[in-house]
Amino acid sequence: MSNSEQFGSRWGLVLATLGMAVGTGNIWRFPRIVASNGGGSFLVAWAVFLLLWSIPLMIVEFAFGKRARKGTVGAFKLLAGRNSAWMGGWVAFCAAAIMFYYSVVAGWCLRYLGAAVLGQIRGSESEVFWTSYAGTGTAWLTHALALSLAVAVVWFGVRGIERVAKILIPSLFVLVVALAIRAVTLPGAVAGLEFLFRPDWAALGDVRIWLQALTQNAWDTGAGWGLILTYAIYMKAREDIPLNAFLIGFGNNSVSLLAGIMVLCTVFAINPGAKSEIVGAGNEGLTFIWMPQLFDQMPGGQFFMVFFFLALSFAALTSLISMVELVSRILMDAGLPRRKAVSVVGLVGLALGTPSALSLAFLHNQDWVWGVGLMLSGLFYALGARKFGLEKLRRETVNGEGADIQVGGWWTFLVGVIVPIEAVILMIWWLWEARGWNPESWLNPFLPESVGTVLLQWAIALVALLALQRWLGKRPAADGGGV
Amino acid sequence: MSGPAIVFMIVICTFIWGGFSLLLIRAIRSEKRKSREN
Repeated sequence: MSNSEQFGSRWGLVLATLGMAVGTGNIWRFPRIVASNGGGSFLVAWAVFLLLWSIPLMIVEFAFGKRARKGTVGAFKLLAGRNSAWMGGWVAFCAAAIMFYYSVVAGWCLRYLGAAVLGQIRGSESEVFWTSYAGTGTAWLTHALALSLAVAVVWFGVRGIERVAKILIPSLFVLVVALAIRAVTLPGAVAGLEFLFRPDWAALGDVRIWLQALTQNAWDTGAGWGLILTYAIYMKAREDIPLNAFLIGFGNNSVSLLAGIMVLCTVFAINPGAKSEIVGAGNEGLTFIWMPQLFDQMPGGQFFMVFFFLALSFAALTSLISMVELVSRILMDAGLPRRKAVSVVGLVGLALGTPSALSLAFLHNQDWVWGVGLMLSGLFYALGARKFGLEKLRRETVNGEGADIQVGGWWTFLVGVIVPIEAVILMIWWLWEARGWNPESWLNPFLPESVGTVLLQWAIALVALLALQRWLGKRPAADGGGV
Repeated sequence: MSGPAIVFMIVICTFIWGGFSLLLIRAIRSEKRKSREN
Protein backbone atom coordinates (compact mmCIF):
# COMPACT_ATOMS: atom_id res chain seq x y z
CA MET A 1 0.00 0.00 0.00
CA SER A 2 1.39 3.40 -0.97
CA ASN A 3 2.19 6.04 1.66
CA SER A 4 -0.57 8.27 0.26
CA GLU A 5 -3.04 5.48 1.13
CA GLN A 6 -1.95 5.42 4.77
CA PHE A 7 -2.78 7.64 7.73
CA GLY A 8 0.06 10.10 8.27
CA SER A 9 0.02 9.65 12.04
CA ARG A 10 -1.72 7.86 14.87
CA TRP A 11 -3.76 10.98 15.56
CA GLY A 12 -5.06 10.98 12.00
CA LEU A 13 -6.33 7.42 12.47
CA VAL A 14 -7.77 8.12 15.94
CA LEU A 15 -9.55 11.33 14.89
CA ALA A 16 -10.96 9.81 11.68
CA THR A 17 -12.22 6.78 13.62
CA LEU A 18 -13.67 9.00 16.36
CA GLY A 19 -15.39 10.97 13.59
CA MET A 20 -16.87 7.72 12.33
CA ALA A 21 -18.04 6.72 15.82
CA VAL A 22 -19.45 10.07 16.94
CA GLY A 23 -22.58 10.59 14.88
CA THR A 24 -26.06 11.95 15.27
CA GLY A 25 -26.90 8.97 17.52
CA ASN A 26 -24.68 10.42 20.26
CA ILE A 27 -26.41 13.78 20.17
CA TRP A 28 -30.04 13.06 19.36
CA ARG A 29 -30.61 9.48 20.54
CA PHE A 30 -28.50 9.07 23.68
CA PRO A 31 -30.15 11.87 25.72
CA ARG A 32 -33.64 10.57 24.86
CA ILE A 33 -32.79 6.99 25.71
CA VAL A 34 -31.14 7.90 29.03
CA ALA A 35 -34.13 10.03 29.97
CA SER A 36 -36.68 7.34 29.18
CA ASN A 37 -34.73 4.47 30.77
CA GLY A 38 -34.07 5.45 34.34
CA GLY A 39 -31.22 8.00 34.05
CA GLY A 40 -28.42 6.87 36.36
CA SER A 41 -29.35 3.16 36.21
CA PHE A 42 -29.12 3.24 32.43
CA LEU A 43 -25.67 4.83 32.65
CA VAL A 44 -24.38 1.86 34.66
CA ALA A 45 -25.58 -0.63 32.05
CA TRP A 46 -24.32 1.63 29.24
CA ALA A 47 -20.80 1.75 30.77
CA VAL A 48 -20.81 -2.03 31.25
CA PHE A 49 -21.68 -2.72 27.60
CA LEU A 50 -18.98 -0.32 26.41
CA LEU A 51 -16.61 -2.95 27.81
CA LEU A 52 -18.66 -6.04 26.92
CA TRP A 53 -19.69 -5.17 23.35
CA SER A 54 -18.17 -2.06 21.78
CA ILE A 55 -14.48 -2.28 22.68
CA PRO A 56 -14.06 -6.06 22.06
CA LEU A 57 -15.69 -5.67 18.62
CA MET A 58 -13.63 -2.57 17.82
CA ILE A 59 -10.49 -4.61 18.52
CA VAL A 60 -11.74 -7.34 16.14
CA GLU A 61 -12.38 -4.76 13.43
CA PHE A 62 -8.97 -3.15 13.82
CA ALA A 63 -7.32 -6.56 13.74
CA PHE A 64 -9.23 -7.66 10.60
CA GLY A 65 -8.41 -4.43 8.73
CA LYS A 66 -4.76 -4.34 9.76
CA ARG A 67 -4.19 -8.00 9.01
CA ALA A 68 -6.11 -8.37 5.74
CA ARG A 69 -5.63 -4.84 4.31
CA LYS A 70 -8.93 -5.38 2.50
CA GLY A 71 -12.48 -4.10 2.79
CA THR A 72 -15.10 -6.14 4.62
CA VAL A 73 -15.68 -8.69 1.83
CA GLY A 74 -11.98 -9.31 1.19
CA ALA A 75 -11.15 -9.37 4.91
CA PHE A 76 -13.77 -12.02 5.72
CA LYS A 77 -12.69 -14.04 2.70
CA LEU A 78 -9.02 -13.89 3.65
CA LEU A 79 -9.41 -14.42 7.39
CA ALA A 80 -12.55 -16.51 7.85
CA GLY A 81 -12.33 -18.48 4.63
CA ARG A 82 -13.72 -18.27 1.10
CA ASN A 83 -17.14 -19.47 2.22
CA SER A 84 -17.43 -16.55 4.65
CA ALA A 85 -17.10 -13.77 2.08
CA TRP A 86 -20.89 -13.36 2.16
CA MET A 87 -20.66 -12.33 5.83
CA GLY A 88 -18.37 -9.47 4.83
CA GLY A 89 -20.88 -8.77 2.08
CA TRP A 90 -23.64 -8.51 4.68
CA VAL A 91 -21.61 -6.06 6.76
CA ALA A 92 -20.99 -3.93 3.66
CA PHE A 93 -24.62 -4.20 2.54
CA CYS A 94 -25.90 -2.95 5.92
CA ALA A 95 -23.44 -0.04 5.94
CA ALA A 96 -24.36 0.88 2.35
CA ALA A 97 -28.10 0.73 3.09
CA ILE A 98 -27.54 2.98 6.11
CA MET A 99 -25.41 5.36 4.02
CA PHE A 100 -28.31 5.87 1.60
CA TYR A 101 -30.57 7.36 4.27
CA TYR A 102 -27.85 8.74 6.53
CA SER A 103 -26.91 11.27 3.85
CA VAL A 104 -30.53 12.47 4.04
CA VAL A 105 -30.11 12.91 7.81
CA ALA A 106 -26.79 14.74 7.28
CA GLY A 107 -28.63 16.96 4.78
CA TRP A 108 -31.25 17.81 7.42
CA CYS A 109 -28.47 18.89 9.79
CA LEU A 110 -26.92 21.11 7.11
CA ARG A 111 -30.31 22.65 6.28
CA TYR A 112 -30.93 23.46 9.92
CA LEU A 113 -27.42 24.84 10.30
CA GLY A 114 -28.10 27.20 7.38
CA ALA A 115 -31.49 28.12 8.79
CA ALA A 116 -29.99 28.79 12.24
CA VAL A 117 -27.26 31.02 10.77
CA LEU A 118 -29.82 32.97 8.72
CA GLY A 119 -32.28 33.20 11.62
CA GLN A 120 -34.97 31.40 9.63
CA ILE A 121 -36.21 29.16 12.49
CA ARG A 122 -38.57 30.85 14.89
CA GLY A 123 -39.13 28.68 17.96
CA SER A 124 -42.90 28.94 17.82
CA GLU A 125 -42.92 27.91 14.17
CA SER A 126 -40.36 25.10 14.38
CA GLU A 127 -42.94 22.39 13.71
CA VAL A 128 -44.19 24.19 10.60
CA PHE A 129 -40.59 24.67 9.44
CA TRP A 130 -39.93 20.93 9.84
CA THR A 131 -43.12 19.69 8.16
CA SER A 132 -42.66 22.07 5.24
CA TYR A 133 -39.13 20.77 4.70
CA ALA A 134 -38.92 17.05 5.55
CA GLY A 135 -39.84 14.74 2.68
CA THR A 136 -39.78 17.53 0.07
CA GLY A 137 -37.57 18.35 -2.91
CA THR A 138 -35.52 20.63 -0.65
CA ALA A 139 -34.69 17.62 1.52
CA TRP A 140 -33.50 15.83 -1.61
CA LEU A 141 -31.26 18.80 -2.45
CA THR A 142 -29.71 18.80 1.02
CA HIS A 143 -29.25 15.00 0.72
CA ALA A 144 -27.36 15.66 -2.53
CA LEU A 145 -25.30 18.39 -0.86
CA ALA A 146 -24.30 16.21 2.11
CA LEU A 147 -23.40 13.26 -0.11
CA SER A 148 -21.40 15.52 -2.45
CA LEU A 149 -19.38 16.87 0.48
CA ALA A 150 -18.61 13.34 1.71
CA VAL A 151 -17.71 12.17 -1.81
CA ALA A 152 -15.45 15.21 -2.27
CA VAL A 153 -13.50 14.27 0.86
CA VAL A 154 -13.19 10.56 0.02
CA TRP A 155 -12.17 11.51 -3.55
CA PHE A 156 -8.81 12.67 -2.12
CA GLY A 157 -8.22 9.37 -0.36
CA VAL A 158 -7.29 8.64 3.20
CA ARG A 159 -5.18 11.79 3.48
CA GLY A 160 -8.28 13.82 2.60
CA ILE A 161 -10.26 12.00 5.31
CA GLU A 162 -7.43 12.62 7.79
CA ARG A 163 -7.19 16.35 7.02
CA VAL A 164 -10.94 16.86 7.43
CA ALA A 165 -11.08 14.79 10.66
CA LYS A 166 -8.24 16.83 12.17
CA ILE A 167 -10.34 19.97 11.79
CA LEU A 168 -13.89 18.72 12.39
CA ILE A 169 -13.41 16.41 15.39
CA PRO A 170 -11.53 18.79 17.72
CA SER A 171 -14.07 21.48 16.68
CA LEU A 172 -16.93 19.11 17.48
CA PHE A 173 -15.50 18.44 20.97
CA VAL A 174 -15.15 22.19 21.62
CA LEU A 175 -18.72 22.85 20.43
CA VAL A 176 -20.25 20.09 22.55
CA VAL A 177 -18.29 21.20 25.63
CA ALA A 178 -19.38 24.83 25.07
CA LEU A 179 -23.03 23.75 24.70
CA ALA A 180 -22.85 21.58 27.84
CA ILE A 181 -21.33 24.45 29.86
CA ARG A 182 -24.06 26.81 28.61
CA ALA A 183 -26.72 24.26 29.54
CA VAL A 184 -25.50 23.56 33.09
CA THR A 185 -25.23 27.30 33.83
CA LEU A 186 -28.91 27.92 32.99
CA PRO A 187 -31.16 28.57 36.02
CA GLY A 188 -32.89 25.30 36.92
CA ALA A 189 -30.42 23.13 35.01
CA VAL A 190 -29.51 21.26 38.18
CA ALA A 191 -32.84 19.42 37.91
CA GLY A 192 -31.58 17.99 34.62
CA LEU A 193 -28.39 16.78 36.29
CA GLU A 194 -30.44 15.25 39.11
CA PHE A 195 -32.63 13.45 36.55
CA LEU A 196 -29.63 12.24 34.55
CA PHE A 197 -27.50 11.03 37.44
CA ARG A 198 -29.99 9.95 40.13
CA PRO A 199 -29.32 6.24 40.63
CA ASP A 200 -32.30 3.94 40.99
CA TRP A 201 -30.69 0.65 41.94
CA ALA A 202 -33.97 -1.25 41.75
CA ALA A 203 -34.22 -0.33 38.06
CA LEU A 204 -31.03 -2.30 37.41
CA GLY A 205 -33.18 -5.42 37.77
CA ASP A 206 -35.15 -4.33 34.68
CA VAL A 207 -33.89 -6.33 31.69
CA ARG A 208 -35.23 -3.68 29.30
CA ILE A 209 -32.75 -1.09 30.60
CA TRP A 210 -29.83 -3.44 29.94
CA LEU A 211 -31.08 -4.21 26.45
CA GLN A 212 -31.54 -0.52 25.65
CA ALA A 213 -28.02 0.19 26.95
CA LEU A 214 -26.59 -2.59 24.78
CA THR A 215 -28.52 -1.28 21.78
CA GLN A 216 -27.18 2.23 22.35
CA ASN A 217 -23.62 0.88 22.39
CA ALA A 218 -24.27 -1.18 19.25
CA TRP A 219 -25.67 1.81 17.37
CA ASP A 220 -23.61 4.77 18.48
CA THR A 221 -20.06 3.44 18.80
CA GLY A 222 -19.92 2.05 15.26
CA ALA A 223 -18.51 -1.26 16.54
CA GLY A 224 -19.31 -4.09 14.13
CA TRP A 225 -20.37 -1.82 11.27
CA GLY A 226 -17.25 -2.45 9.13
CA LEU A 227 -16.23 1.22 9.29
CA ILE A 228 -13.35 0.70 11.74
CA LEU A 229 -12.13 -2.23 9.66
CA THR A 230 -12.08 0.05 6.62
CA TYR A 231 -10.00 2.75 8.34
CA ALA A 232 -7.71 0.09 9.85
CA ILE A 233 -6.68 -0.89 6.31
CA TYR A 234 -4.76 2.38 6.20
CA MET A 235 -3.03 2.13 9.58
CA LYS A 236 0.74 1.76 9.70
CA ALA A 237 2.26 -1.69 10.23
CA ARG A 238 3.71 -0.59 13.59
CA GLU A 239 0.44 0.91 14.80
CA ASP A 240 -1.26 -0.01 18.07
CA ILE A 241 -4.68 -1.69 18.14
CA PRO A 242 -5.89 -2.20 21.75
CA LEU A 243 -5.13 1.25 23.17
CA ASN A 244 -6.67 2.92 20.11
CA ALA A 245 -9.82 0.82 20.49
CA PHE A 246 -10.19 1.80 24.17
CA LEU A 247 -9.44 5.44 23.34
CA ILE A 248 -12.11 5.59 20.64
CA GLY A 249 -14.70 3.76 22.74
CA PHE A 250 -14.23 6.05 25.73
CA GLY A 251 -13.96 9.13 23.48
CA ASN A 252 -17.24 8.30 21.79
CA ASN A 253 -19.04 7.76 25.07
CA SER A 254 -17.51 10.98 26.47
CA VAL A 255 -19.30 12.90 23.72
CA SER A 256 -22.55 11.02 24.44
CA LEU A 257 -22.35 11.96 28.12
CA LEU A 258 -21.75 15.61 27.25
CA ALA A 259 -24.69 15.53 24.85
CA GLY A 260 -26.90 14.01 27.55
CA ILE A 261 -25.96 16.79 29.97
CA MET A 262 -26.46 19.44 27.28
CA VAL A 263 -29.91 18.29 26.18
CA LEU A 264 -31.40 17.32 29.55
CA CYS A 265 -30.16 20.43 31.38
CA THR A 266 -31.58 22.60 28.58
CA VAL A 267 -34.94 20.80 28.71
CA PHE A 268 -35.23 20.99 32.52
CA ALA A 269 -34.11 24.63 32.63
CA ILE A 270 -36.35 25.94 29.85
CA ASN A 271 -39.44 23.73 29.75
CA PRO A 272 -39.50 21.16 32.58
CA GLY A 273 -43.27 20.67 32.23
CA ALA A 274 -42.87 19.19 28.76
CA LYS A 275 -39.96 16.85 29.50
CA SER A 276 -41.93 13.65 28.84
CA GLU A 277 -43.30 15.05 25.60
CA ILE A 278 -39.82 16.22 24.51
CA VAL A 279 -37.95 12.97 25.17
CA GLY A 280 -40.83 11.00 23.68
CA ALA A 281 -40.82 13.04 20.47
CA GLY A 282 -38.35 10.77 18.66
CA ASN A 283 -34.99 11.75 17.21
CA GLU A 284 -36.34 14.21 14.68
CA GLY A 285 -38.97 15.64 17.02
CA LEU A 286 -36.39 16.35 19.73
CA THR A 287 -33.78 17.79 17.39
CA PHE A 288 -35.69 19.66 14.74
CA ILE A 289 -38.87 20.72 16.56
CA TRP A 290 -38.14 20.94 20.29
CA MET A 291 -34.50 22.07 20.35
CA PRO A 292 -35.20 25.22 18.24
CA GLN A 293 -38.08 26.04 20.62
CA LEU A 294 -35.83 25.62 23.64
CA PHE A 295 -33.02 27.69 22.12
CA ASP A 296 -35.55 30.40 21.27
CA GLN A 297 -36.30 30.85 24.97
CA MET A 298 -32.65 30.76 26.09
CA PRO A 299 -30.51 33.90 26.53
CA GLY A 300 -28.17 33.94 23.50
CA GLY A 301 -30.19 31.08 22.08
CA GLN A 302 -29.68 32.02 18.42
CA PHE A 303 -25.92 31.79 18.87
CA PHE A 304 -26.10 28.44 20.68
CA MET A 305 -28.56 27.03 18.12
CA VAL A 306 -25.88 27.63 15.45
CA PHE A 307 -23.38 25.80 17.70
CA PHE A 308 -25.81 22.91 18.15
CA PHE A 309 -26.52 22.37 14.46
CA LEU A 310 -22.86 22.92 13.59
CA ALA A 311 -21.91 20.13 16.03
CA LEU A 312 -24.64 17.90 14.64
CA SER A 313 -23.50 18.60 11.05
CA PHE A 314 -19.86 17.81 11.87
CA ALA A 315 -20.90 14.57 13.61
CA ALA A 316 -23.11 13.51 10.69
CA LEU A 317 -20.61 14.39 7.96
CA THR A 318 -17.63 12.60 9.53
CA SER A 319 -19.77 9.45 9.91
CA LEU A 320 -21.09 9.74 6.34
CA ILE A 321 -17.52 10.07 5.04
CA SER A 322 -16.59 6.74 6.64
CA MET A 323 -19.62 5.03 5.05
CA VAL A 324 -18.72 6.35 1.58
CA GLU A 325 -15.16 5.13 2.12
CA LEU A 326 -16.36 1.66 3.20
CA VAL A 327 -18.40 1.07 0.05
CA SER A 328 -15.74 2.64 -2.17
CA ARG A 329 -13.13 0.35 -0.63
CA ILE A 330 -15.14 -2.74 -1.63
CA LEU A 331 -15.21 -1.50 -5.23
CA MET A 332 -11.49 -0.69 -5.10
CA ASP A 333 -10.79 -4.22 -3.88
CA ALA A 334 -12.72 -5.43 -6.93
CA GLY A 335 -10.28 -3.52 -9.13
CA LEU A 336 -11.81 -0.06 -9.65
CA PRO A 337 -9.51 2.98 -9.27
CA ARG A 338 -10.39 5.15 -6.24
CA ARG A 339 -11.96 8.06 -8.09
CA LYS A 340 -14.09 5.84 -10.29
CA ALA A 341 -15.22 3.84 -7.23
CA VAL A 342 -16.08 7.00 -5.29
CA SER A 343 -18.03 8.40 -8.25
CA VAL A 344 -20.05 5.19 -8.54
CA VAL A 345 -20.81 5.24 -4.80
CA GLY A 346 -21.85 8.91 -5.02
CA LEU A 347 -24.21 8.36 -7.95
CA VAL A 348 -25.74 5.16 -6.54
CA GLY A 349 -26.08 6.81 -3.11
CA LEU A 350 -27.79 9.81 -4.64
CA ALA A 351 -30.29 7.58 -6.45
CA LEU A 352 -30.97 5.09 -3.66
CA GLY A 353 -31.18 7.82 -1.01
CA THR A 354 -33.95 9.55 -2.95
CA PRO A 355 -36.86 7.49 -1.50
CA SER A 356 -35.66 8.30 2.04
CA ALA A 357 -35.25 11.98 1.15
CA LEU A 358 -38.82 12.15 -0.14
CA SER A 359 -40.56 9.91 2.42
CA LEU A 360 -40.04 9.85 6.18
CA ALA A 361 -41.86 6.51 6.36
CA PHE A 362 -39.35 4.97 3.95
CA LEU A 363 -36.43 6.42 5.92
CA HIS A 364 -37.82 5.05 9.19
CA ASN A 365 -38.29 1.66 7.53
CA GLN A 366 -34.67 1.55 6.40
CA ASP A 367 -33.43 2.77 9.78
CA TRP A 368 -35.36 -0.03 11.48
CA VAL A 369 -34.41 -2.85 9.08
CA TRP A 370 -30.69 -2.12 8.83
CA GLY A 371 -30.33 -0.88 12.41
CA VAL A 372 -31.29 -4.35 13.61
CA GLY A 373 -29.17 -5.75 10.76
CA LEU A 374 -26.11 -4.24 12.45
CA MET A 375 -26.57 -6.65 15.34
CA LEU A 376 -26.23 -9.49 12.84
CA SER A 377 -23.07 -7.77 11.56
CA GLY A 378 -21.68 -7.83 15.11
CA LEU A 379 -22.45 -11.55 15.31
CA PHE A 380 -20.69 -12.16 11.99
CA TYR A 381 -17.54 -10.43 13.25
CA ALA A 382 -17.48 -12.68 16.30
CA LEU A 383 -18.06 -15.80 14.17
CA GLY A 384 -15.47 -14.69 11.60
CA ALA A 385 -12.87 -14.10 14.31
CA ARG A 386 -13.64 -17.49 15.85
CA LYS A 387 -13.22 -19.14 12.47
CA PHE A 388 -9.84 -17.49 11.97
CA GLY A 389 -8.75 -18.37 15.49
CA LEU A 390 -9.25 -15.89 18.31
CA GLU A 391 -6.02 -16.81 20.09
CA LYS A 392 -4.01 -16.50 16.90
CA LEU A 393 -5.60 -13.13 16.14
CA ARG A 394 -4.92 -11.93 19.69
CA ARG A 395 -1.29 -13.06 19.82
CA GLU A 396 -0.21 -12.17 16.29
CA THR A 397 -2.24 -9.09 15.43
CA VAL A 398 -3.95 -7.48 18.44
CA ASN A 399 -0.88 -7.86 20.67
CA GLY A 400 1.50 -7.80 17.71
CA GLU A 401 3.82 -5.14 16.36
CA GLY A 402 3.23 -1.67 17.80
CA ALA A 403 0.78 -2.70 20.56
CA ASP A 404 0.96 -0.26 23.50
CA ILE A 405 -0.98 -2.53 25.83
CA GLN A 406 -1.43 -6.29 25.81
CA VAL A 407 -4.92 -7.77 25.65
CA GLY A 408 -5.46 -10.86 27.79
CA GLY A 409 -7.59 -13.97 27.45
CA TRP A 410 -10.66 -11.99 28.57
CA TRP A 411 -10.92 -10.64 25.04
CA THR A 412 -11.11 -14.07 23.41
CA PHE A 413 -13.80 -15.05 25.92
CA LEU A 414 -15.83 -11.88 25.27
CA VAL A 415 -15.63 -12.15 21.47
CA GLY A 416 -16.00 -15.92 21.35
CA VAL A 417 -18.83 -16.30 23.86
CA ILE A 418 -20.37 -13.09 25.20
CA VAL A 419 -20.68 -11.01 21.99
CA PRO A 420 -22.52 -13.77 20.05
CA ILE A 421 -24.94 -14.23 22.98
CA GLU A 422 -25.51 -10.47 23.19
CA ALA A 423 -26.13 -10.22 19.43
CA VAL A 424 -28.65 -13.07 19.38
CA ILE A 425 -30.52 -11.78 22.47
CA LEU A 426 -30.66 -8.25 21.02
CA MET A 427 -32.06 -9.38 17.67
CA ILE A 428 -34.69 -11.60 19.28
CA TRP A 429 -35.65 -8.86 21.73
CA TRP A 430 -36.05 -6.15 19.08
CA LEU A 431 -38.13 -8.40 16.84
CA TRP A 432 -40.26 -9.40 19.84
CA GLU A 433 -40.72 -5.74 20.74
CA ALA A 434 -41.75 -4.96 17.16
CA ARG A 435 -44.37 -7.68 17.38
CA GLY A 436 -46.07 -5.58 20.04
CA TRP A 437 -46.05 -2.40 17.90
CA ASN A 438 -48.43 -4.01 15.39
CA PRO A 439 -50.03 -6.96 17.20
CA GLU A 440 -52.49 -7.66 14.38
CA SER A 441 -50.11 -7.25 11.44
CA TRP A 442 -46.59 -7.74 12.73
CA LEU A 443 -45.72 -9.99 9.78
CA ASN A 444 -46.96 -7.48 7.19
CA PRO A 445 -43.80 -6.63 5.19
CA PHE A 446 -45.32 -3.39 3.91
CA LEU A 447 -45.55 -1.71 7.30
CA PRO A 448 -42.55 0.59 7.93
CA GLU A 449 -41.63 -0.88 11.32
CA SER A 450 -42.84 -4.48 11.40
CA VAL A 451 -41.13 -7.83 11.89
CA GLY A 452 -42.27 -8.80 8.39
CA THR A 453 -40.37 -5.98 6.68
CA VAL A 454 -37.16 -6.94 8.49
CA LEU A 455 -37.48 -10.63 7.60
CA LEU A 456 -38.35 -9.92 3.96
CA GLN A 457 -35.54 -7.43 3.33
CA TRP A 458 -32.99 -9.51 5.21
CA ALA A 459 -34.05 -12.61 3.25
CA ILE A 460 -33.66 -10.78 -0.08
CA ALA A 461 -30.22 -9.48 0.93
CA LEU A 462 -29.02 -12.84 2.30
CA VAL A 463 -30.25 -14.81 -0.72
CA ALA A 464 -28.57 -12.31 -3.06
CA LEU A 465 -25.31 -12.47 -1.09
CA LEU A 466 -25.31 -16.26 -0.90
CA ALA A 467 -26.05 -16.44 -4.63
CA LEU A 468 -23.06 -14.19 -5.18
CA GLN A 469 -20.98 -16.25 -2.78
CA ARG A 470 -19.09 -18.10 -5.47
CA TRP A 471 -18.31 -14.89 -7.29
CA LEU A 472 -17.50 -12.98 -4.09
CA GLY A 473 -15.41 -15.83 -2.74
CA LYS A 474 -13.50 -16.35 -5.96
CA ARG A 475 -12.69 -12.71 -6.81
CA PRO A 476 -8.92 -12.47 -7.16
CA ALA A 477 -7.15 -10.13 -4.74
CA ALA A 478 -6.51 -6.77 -6.47
CA ASP A 479 -3.22 -6.04 -4.75
CA GLY A 480 -2.73 -9.02 -2.47
CA GLY A 481 -3.75 -8.53 1.14
CA GLY A 482 -1.52 -9.81 3.90
CA VAL A 483 -2.66 -12.56 6.20
CA MET B 1 -29.09 18.01 43.78
CA SER B 2 -29.37 15.00 46.07
CA GLY B 3 -26.33 13.35 47.64
CA PRO B 4 -26.65 10.04 45.75
CA ALA B 5 -26.98 11.90 42.43
CA ILE B 6 -23.82 13.94 43.16
CA VAL B 7 -21.86 10.83 44.13
CA PHE B 8 -23.10 8.94 41.08
CA MET B 9 -22.31 11.87 38.77
CA ILE B 10 -18.74 11.94 40.09
CA VAL B 11 -18.37 8.16 39.66
CA ILE B 12 -19.71 7.94 36.10
CA CYS B 13 -18.00 11.12 34.84
CA THR B 14 -14.70 10.02 36.36
CA PHE B 15 -15.04 6.62 34.72
CA ILE B 16 -15.90 7.93 31.23
CA TRP B 17 -14.05 11.25 30.99
CA GLY B 18 -11.27 10.24 33.38
CA GLY B 19 -10.82 6.99 31.47
CA PHE B 20 -10.67 8.86 28.17
CA SER B 21 -8.12 11.37 29.58
CA LEU B 22 -5.87 8.63 30.98
CA LEU B 23 -5.98 6.67 27.73
CA LEU B 24 -5.15 9.84 25.80
CA ILE B 25 -2.17 10.57 28.06
CA ARG B 26 -1.00 6.96 27.65
CA ALA B 27 -1.22 7.26 23.85
CA ILE B 28 0.64 10.62 23.83
CA ARG B 29 3.45 9.17 25.95
CA SER B 30 3.65 6.12 23.71
CA GLU B 31 3.92 8.27 20.59
CA LYS B 32 6.69 10.35 22.20
CA ARG B 33 8.57 7.18 23.10
CA LYS B 34 8.15 5.73 19.61
CA SER B 35 9.37 8.94 17.94
CA ARG B 36 12.45 8.99 20.22
CA GLU B 37 13.20 5.37 19.28
CA ASN B 38 12.97 6.09 15.54
